[in-house]
Amino acid sequence: METTVLQNAALEREELFIGLYKKVFPAVARYVARRGGTFDDAKDVFQDAVAVYYELVLTNADAVQTSPQGYIMGVAKHLWSKRFNDGLRNVPLDGNGFDEAEEEEKNLLFDKLTTLMATAGVKCMQLLKAFYYDKLPVKSLMGEFAYHSEHSATVQKYKCLDKLRTEVKQRALHYEDFID
Amino acid sequence: MRTLLTEVQQIEQHLLQGHEPGDALVFEAKMILDYELREKASLQKQAYGFISFYGRRQLKQELEAVHRQLFTSPKHSSFRERIWKLFGTK
Repeated sequence: METTVLQNAALEREELFIGLYKKVFPAVARYVARRGGTFDDAKDVFQDAVAVYYELVLTNADAVQTSPQGYIMGVAKHLWSKRFNDGLRNVPLDGNGFDEAEEEEKNLLFDKLTTLMATAGVKCMQLLKAFYYDKLPVKSLMGEFAYHSEHSATVQKYKCLDKLRTEVKQRALHYEDFID
Repeated sequence: MRTLLTEVQQIEQHLLQGHEPGDALVFEAKMILDYELREKASLQKQAYGFISFYGRRQLKQELEAVHRQLFTSPKHSSFRERIWKLFGTK
């Protein structure tokens, strides 16, 4: 069976994450273990650091001046030090929204909207996520979503965005927490 | 429909890409005068926030799947043992 653009992108991410786990996780785990942290602490800070790295690289690859390993290790140390110094395990990296209580609240809102999107527009959410979050070019998504041209894919993207905007309004959901 | 999509596109340009300084001023003036446009821009900003949260959540699920794979599959047993040693577990 032919793999699609989204499947390929997911496979590439899997490969990237396995590589990062193999290269960087041992150092993060050693750092956390030496400071009295648990395996789960190491996993949490590492995964949060990888998520920060992934989003930053997609937004602006030039922003990462050091190697991926160095960057992730730096963020993980920062996250660990914040949690350790505050005597808390779940303090987020400022501005990156990984706070557990906040996360819980967001999950509730998220579940509401996911339920809605599951019936109204899973395809739309996939398209919007692929374009805005994973930053895949519209051109590469044409085949995936069976659009005939770049223009029709772009039009569909805006239609989906309008649909999501309408749902946000109709449900009177307050999404300030989602905005970084 | 076309007008609506042009508006969605213009709001996007204002929020994400940034208009040219002159155009940005015109757009801001429009928003001051037009409550509906202001509301739409605010909802659109929230929609981007939601997409970003949706993406991050899926990313974390993917990371979790990789973690499970590395810490359960026989293929990665030496890596796993190396990590567990650090925490004095087996």
